[in-house]
Amino acid sequence: MVASKNRIDSVDPAQAYSFGAMQLLSAVGDPLYAIDGRGRIEPRLATALPNVSADGLTARVPLRQGVLFHDGTRFDAAAMVFTLRRFLAIGKLSYLLGDRLRDVRASGPYELELRLRRPFSALPQLLSAINLTPLSPSAYRNYGKRFLNDRFVGTGPYRLSAANDQQQRLEPFKGYWGPRPANNGLDLVSLANSTALYGALRSGEVDVLLSTSLDGDQQLALHQSAAQGGLHEGVGPALEIGYLSLLTDQPPLSDGRLRQAVALSLDRQLISQRVSQGLRAPLRELVPPSLEGSSPRAWPAYDPGRARRLYRAAGYCRGRRLKLPLTFRSNIPADRLFALIWQEQLRRDLGDCVHLEITGMEATTAYRQLGDGAFVMILLDWMGDFPDAGNYLVPLLGCDEARGNRCLKGASAASGSFWTRPGLDADLRRSEGMAGAPRVDLIRSIQAEAAAAVPYLPLWLVAPRAWSLPRISTPEFDGSGRVVFSRLRMLASGGVQP
Amino acid sequence: MSRRRELTRYVGARLLLAPVMLWLIASLVFLLLRVAPGDPIDALLGTRAPEAARTALRHQLGLDLPLPAQYGHFLVDLVRGNLGESLTNQTPVSEIIRQSLPASLELGAVALVIAAVLGLAAGFSGIARPEGKLDLAGRLYGIGTYALPPFWAAMVVQLIFAVGLGWFPVGGRFPPTLVPPSGSGFYLLDSLLAGNLQQFSGSLRHLVLPAATLGILLSGIFDNALRLNLRRALRSDYVEAARSRGLSETRVVLRHALPNALLPVLTITGITVASLIGGALLIEVTFSWPGIAFRLQEAISQRDYNLVQGIVVVVAALVVLVSVTVDVLVALLDPRIRF
Repeated sequence: MVASKNRIDSVDPAQAYSFGAMQLLSAVGDPLYAIDGRGRIEPRLATALPNVSADGLTARVPLRQGVLFHDGTRFDAAAMVFTLRRFLAIGKLSYLLGDRLRDVRASGPYELELRLRRPFSALPQLLSAINLTPLSPSAYRNYGKRFLNDRFVGTGPYRLSAANDQQQRLEPFKGYWGPRPANNGLDLVSLANSTALYGALRSGEVDVLLSTSLDGDQQLALHQSAAQGGLHEGVGPALEIGYLSLLTDQPPLSDGRLRQAVALSLDRQLISQRVSQGLRAPLRELVPPSLEGSSPRAWPAYDPGRARRLYRAAGYCRGRRLKLPLTFRSNIPADRLFALIWQEQLRRDLGDCVHLEITGMEATTAYRQLGDGAFVMILLDWMGDFPDAGNYLVPLLGCDEARGNRCLKGASAASGSFWTRPGLDADLRRSEGMAGAPRVDLIRSIQAEAAAAVPYLPLWLVAPRAWSLPRISTPEFDGSGRVVFSRLRMLASGGVQP
Repeated sequence: MSRRRELTRYVGARLLLAPVMLWLIASLVFLLLRVAPGDPIDALLGTRAPEAARTALRHQLGLDLPLPAQYGHFLVDLVRGNLGESLTNQTPVSEIIRQSLPASLELGAVALVIAAVLGLAAGFSGIARPEGKLDLAGRLYGIGTYALPPFWAAMVVQLIFAVGLGWFPVGGRFPPTLVPPSGSGFYLLDSLLAGNLQQFSGSLRHLVLPAATLGILLSGIFDNALRLNLRRALRSDYVEAARSRGLSETRVVLRHALPNALLPVLTITGITVASLIGGALLIEVTFSWPGIAFRLQEAISQRDYNLVQGIVVVVAALVVLVSVTVDVLVALLDPRIRF
């Protein structure tokens, strides 16, 4: 039995967007490509990487033959076309695909042809999104324009035999084309609060616990228990970043020196230790270190001496303190802890120069006001929809309409920073079509620019974790940050695994 | 005017006013949701979705219409008995309520029985020797259970009996390894009717902790109400008259004082039932009980306007119904009541 906090409203890949739904879909569905634990792309229902035309606008994907849907019908290019068109028509996240894909058709019984709007080198990563897992056209015939929330008919190693929003039952799919799951099926349960989840694993009521939405101190207790051999702990790729968004077009942070000073005032090591005992690794870049284009030291390290000089240059410290408002999401415990600890750290190290005024606000309320420029500084987090560096830069730095260095409309404005520079958006678009070393160089140079301008302050990196009882094998994660359920197995005796 | 006609007129007036009250409540909820900060599109797509995608979804959900038009659609649908679809997953709101309301009602009903039994027993316990040890213990119990913070009590109960002792499940409503009983949505009843003992015991095991916790927390209300009213009744003239006629103290208490003391308790029961229809949020959240309050809380955080509106209207209608029923019952039982 696997527990998490995620209640699942819908198992329709066109509708699903929560972590819990994605985790479930990754067990009952198969993407065209998958990312393994080392971050390498591997064909799954595709048999090879896309064959891209010279102009980069057409990609042909060869598909696996002999694959069956859970209803016994055959998977082929027509089924994939049906799935992608359905997702484009009704998918909640259809913009992910629609922004890049002009059209899709079956160029053969087992070959898919994708016509792109512009060259896009991360196409395999995009096609690894579990929302694009193929659906049986016969099962979804009447659901082309609407969602099928409580049933799923795909090609994955498990079939969904029963589902409601709180519990789902997975049984191995006998007709699966790949290796059979190492277990005889799973029950997924959602419990509403962190204490109940923690207690359920401690009492042995559940076998595996996923860390999503689990309180930090309980994660730490499980981590320590695992270190002492009481549990098995699996850690996934850290793909979620925590960062501060700085309002760059209004005082006081319209002054670049102050933004730099704030960047130098952040003692990530201390904060990481105090908030999470180091479970949240300090982060000085926007792109997670496991992705190509990472630049681990892009943002400056903590340096109170330099920070003080910059505060002074901006007219502070000599009897005048900068009052810096910081908003945190009050319904996220780690955010509150961060705010309190940073406030105290600043009081200790730079108390004569800067004072942090902290305010809590419920997350959904805060999101609504981000694009209005309501927050001088706010703590947020982000996880790309698929693991690619561009997915961490475009959603934060993209800009559709700008005046000078001020973004009027687009991702940067929606994120509450409003920073851009002429040509930045074009560079971001260009990077999407590039591959290899030139792309990595461009992404790193964009990060360096952002680090110098400080519209954002990367703070920490969150890795998903899962714990299992000693009688169960250690949970393993794929490169997208999801537990591979099919590899969970009962251990022969004494909880010893090879 | 005869008392019966008075009562009929009163009930008729209450029932006629009910739609007006529901309209007011529905309108208030509609307005408050739109005035409150937060946007369902943010909750659905996050803040990073392109403007085009946000606009398309807003149009698809009808949230781009002017507010009066949205309100008009809402009222017309409401009159037709159509509560709309959840913005989150397009499931009919009536279906979500049909699934979650029985869970809250089942929990509330069992908790109410526990509360009544414990509360009335505690309230009655010290009556033989006022200010005695038993009376003092009953009073302390009443004050203590009434004052306990529900979330704290629920977590302590959960930690002791589920995590520590492992006697009951930590949360949920039904064992994941079994197929839930189908029918009315009241699992205890459905499994009994189906004669499936495995389902019944599975449901019962999940129900025990939340129902007992809620029942104990509510029992203080019954305890205090009965204790105070029974004391007042025992000091009244008609009880003195009964005693002076030479009736035994037991007969005086059971036949004369207790029925009169129970009348206010009936009113309190009505209020408690009305509050339980809307679910016991903290208990439901702590024990992951998939009831109506739990759903309402989630719907509010997701800014699921249709679901919030639907739940509030249905709960309000039931509360009005219970309130009228209790008024009628009290009036039937107590001839002193005038309208």
